[in-house]
Amino acid sequence: MLILALVEDRPRHGYEIAKLIDQRSLGVLQFNVASLYPMLYRLEKRGFITGRWIEKRGERRRRFYKLTPAGKKILSAQRQAWKEFFAALDRVAGINPA
Amino acid sequence: MPDWKTDVRKHVRTLRLPPQRELEIIEELTLHLEGRFQDLLSDGYNRDEAYRLATSELLESGVLIRDLQKIESKVVREPVEPGTPGSSNLIADTWQDVRYGMRALRHSPGFTLLAVLLLAIGIGANSAIFGIVNSVLLRPLPYHAADGIMTLWQNNVKAGVARNDVSPANFLDWKQQSRSFELMAGIEPFGFSMIGTGEPEQFRAWLVTAGFFEIMGSQALYGRTFTADEYQPGNNQVVVISYNLWQKRFGGDKNLLNQKLTLNGRPFTVVGIMPADFQFPPDRDIWAPRIIRDSDFQLRGPTYWNVVARLKPDVTQAQAQNELNGIAARLATQYPDTNGEMGVTVESLSELLTGKIKSALLLFLGAVGLVLLIACANVGNLLLMRGTARQREFAIRCALGASRVRVIRQLLIESFLLAFLSGGVGLVMASLALRLILYFNTAKIPRLDQVGIDFAVLVFTIVVATLTAIVFGLIPALEFSRPNLQAITQDGERGAVGPVRRRLRDALVVVEVAVAIVLLTGAGLLVRSFMNLLRVDPGFQKEHVLALQVFLPRGFKAEQATAFFDQSLEKIQQLPGVQAAAVVASPPFIDLETDVPFTVEGQTPPPKGNEPSAFYSEVSAGYLDAMGIPLRAGRFVSNDDRTPSAPVIVINETMARRYFPNQNPIGRQLNLILENQVKVEIVGVVGDVLHSGLDTQPRPELFASYRQSPSTQMTFVVKTGPESEVMVNQIKAAIRTVNPNQTFARVAPMEQLVADSLRQRRFNLFLLVSFALVALGLAAVGIYGSINYSTQLRTREIGVRMALGAQAIDILRMIVLQGLTITFAGIIIGVVTAIMLTRLMSGLLFGVSANDPVTLVAISLLILLIALIASYVPAWRATKLDPLIALRYE
Repeated sequence: MLILALVEDRPRHGYEIAKLIDQRSLGVLQFNVASLYPMLYRLEKRGFITGRWIEKRGERRRRFYKLTPAGKKILSAQRQAWKEFFAALDRVAGINPA
Repeated sequence: MPDWKTDVRKHVRTLRLPPQRELEIIEELTLHLEGRFQDLLSDGYNRDEAYRLATSELLESGVLIRDLQKIESKVVREPVEPGTPGSSNLIADTWQDVRYGMRALRHSPGFTLLAVLLLAIGIGANSAIFGIVNSVLLRPLPYHAADGIMTLWQNNVKAGVARNDVSPANFLDWKQQSRSFELMAGIEPFGFSMIGTGEPEQFRAWLVTAGFFEIMGSQALYGRTFTADEYQPGNNQVVVISYNLWQKRFGGDKNLLNQKLTLNGRPFTVVGIMPADFQFPPDRDIWAPRIIRDSDFQLRGPTYWNVVARLKPDVTQAQAQNELNGIAARLATQYPDTNGEMGVTVESLSELLTGKIKSALLLFLGAVGLVLLIACANVGNLLLMRGTARQREFAIRCALGASRVRVIRQLLIESFLLAFLSGGVGLVMASLALRLILYFNTAKIPRLDQVGIDFAVLVFTIVVATLTAIVFGLIPALEFSRPNLQAITQDGERGAVGPVRRRLRDALVVVEVAVAIVLLTGAGLLVRSFMNLLRVDPGFQKEHVLALQVFLPRGFKAEQATAFFDQSLEKIQQLPGVQAAAVVASPPFIDLETDVPFTVEGQTPPPKGNEPSAFYSEVSAGYLDAMGIPLRAGRFVSNDDRTPSAPVIVINETMARRYFPNQNPIGRQLNLILENQVKVEIVGVVGDVLHSGLDTQPRPELFASYRQSPSTQMTFVVKTGPESEVMVNQIKAAIRTVNPNQTFARVAPMEQLVADSLRQRRFNLFLLVSFALVALGLAAVGIYGSINYSTQLRTREIGVRMALGAQAIDILRMIVLQGLTITFAGIIIGVVTAIMLTRLMSGLLFGVSANDPVTLVAISLLILLIALIASYVPAWRATKLDPLIALRYE
């Protein structure tokens, strides 16, 4: 879900995704090259994201991943599920994820 | 900047991806690592540290390569959704079931071992007995087109004689008048004594008329059989010998061919050696040509030939029988004296060779079938118990969308695996059992020596294993494939055991008990018969009596024979340890019977040809002493009863009772119809003696002094002390002082001759009792297993009962009663079945009825006792339960 959420608003390349996860989770969640790419490829194979080589001026070409419609559906379904889960946890144990 | 590309390529290359994809991955990962390296440097790491860190991330415990391999190499599988039938492929699915089944069996080695053992016993017994049946009954005889070979016998339906030997004159008439046969040959038993190097030897031989070997369709293994010329006078000094004799006596020396042997004092050339499987007529090792002499056409009364014939291709046995019936009727009118009551029996060679053993073998086949049935019931029960434990597994499979057929198939495949595994083990057991049976082949069953595990036995075993798998596997399979979702949620086994399943288990135990009863009853009846036979008094004392049969050379004159026997007896009696000695022409339990027709002087004679006959034997004076036969009245023959003094005769009690009821036979006269009619006076009556078996009735018997009419075939009977075995050689030596070249046809203690007559019965007994004991063991295991299992299931209930104050004795009674109830049901069914089935074996019984109540009651009690023990053990264990633990059970 994390990866899907990160490529939701705009396409990103692999290293960018890894860095963002690291930064936004304040270092709690870490993906390195060995764990990230297999996951990306798997998501791509399942059709949730799609990767494209894009060249920007003055840079070498990079592979950017963006969310597909199927990925969007799954993401929103997962968001809903987690929301309900945390709501339930909150009602029971008083945890507020927000 | 380190060369990341090379590093990455080194690892990714091992995946053997398509080149394009490989390049893309390398490029992407390289970019990532470059970015990471730069960031690490800017975070303040030096180059070496940054390089090490980035590299370690790349190689982290092989995760990258492993995961990439999974993703890149194959199409990603869709997760299986419950409830949708997957695409099915019969072969692949079956293979999957087989592997799954093997895993399931491996995971419960105790169950597998027990089931395989039980089934292997059942299957092995079947394979072994089938092996015997196959080699004795089913396999064709080793003679060319053996179906066409017939044996011909004289019969006398009125006297109840189905098969009697044939007289030479009758054979010649049959041969001349019949059109049903291509060839017909007569066979005459004969004896050869061979004097060569070493001890003189006696051989039993057959003289055969022209056509014998052609009828049998047999060629010599080495050399040849007889030519037409050799059946002519002057050319007949030739013999063919058996493979057995060639090996044993001549060490398999091929130079024996065309050599001369001195037989009965004349030179005979060995022209052929027969193959090992040529054993007809059985038990004899030499064949020689029999020339038809003019006198043979006159020999219509004495019957001592065997006759074989080959049917013409388009003639059936029944047609041949018809034709011979007509010929016999003509001969009966032509020769009313000798042929008045004579008929002809045509019997195929295979019937003749296997007829006697057939019913016993079929009985055994039935018995092992029953043993297998018990084994199946046992394993079926095991599967039911195990199935209950696997209830959750089946329920989950059904819930996940497995069809009922698929679950049944899975279970049946497990059954097949078990059955075939057992079949393999069973074959090993069968070959061991056959070796054991061969070792105990006391019955001299023809062709049993050729038995072994061959292709036919293999096929039979596979068929039996398949049937077995269906029999024991089907009920559990049907039972457990019924969807039972409840079982998923229940943890223990208890909830899954409904009354249906328990009834099924009980029913299987009932079947086991019933079948065991049937087998035990059969075995019990044989044991009782055998014990009855051992108690039969043969009419003589068989202990410490030696029998030595001798044939005097042809051409011995009567006085010479008498002198030989007189002197030999004198020498034998001088030996220390000899208590009495005599000679007798027809001793009991040596198959040499001579019947003589007679009339009683002073009684109205029956029509000619219908005279009664009695068993006739020439003896010496000491016969009663040597054999321990009691004298009932008058005197026995004495050595003074010489020719030509007035001939006297001694009769036995049966003869006295039958022909002189309430009269004193002493002093009465008989007319014996020998070659001439001879008038003899009865001087004594002696006790009855059984001649041809303990299960026969005594027949009228006549004893004459051997001095009145000496025979050239006599048997010395010598009563000794307990050391009789070691005296054989001394007795032989004593006889050889009279005739240095004397040979002995048969030397045996009387006790052994009597025991030998029980060989077939002992063999039957050995096999059937073995099967019955196996059946009993299997049934006991079945009862124990079932009671033990249901006691375990009731642990909680027992705990509650004990907590509520039940005493140990109550628990004990409850469980044992449960076992006895099932057993009792089995006993009732078994006894009823046994009463119906044992009638089939009445021919094998002696002195005991097929429905012998003693046997039935004894067997029932035995089973009850076994059941008591088998259910007592689990019951006793249950009483030792701690109620608290029992309640917490599950």
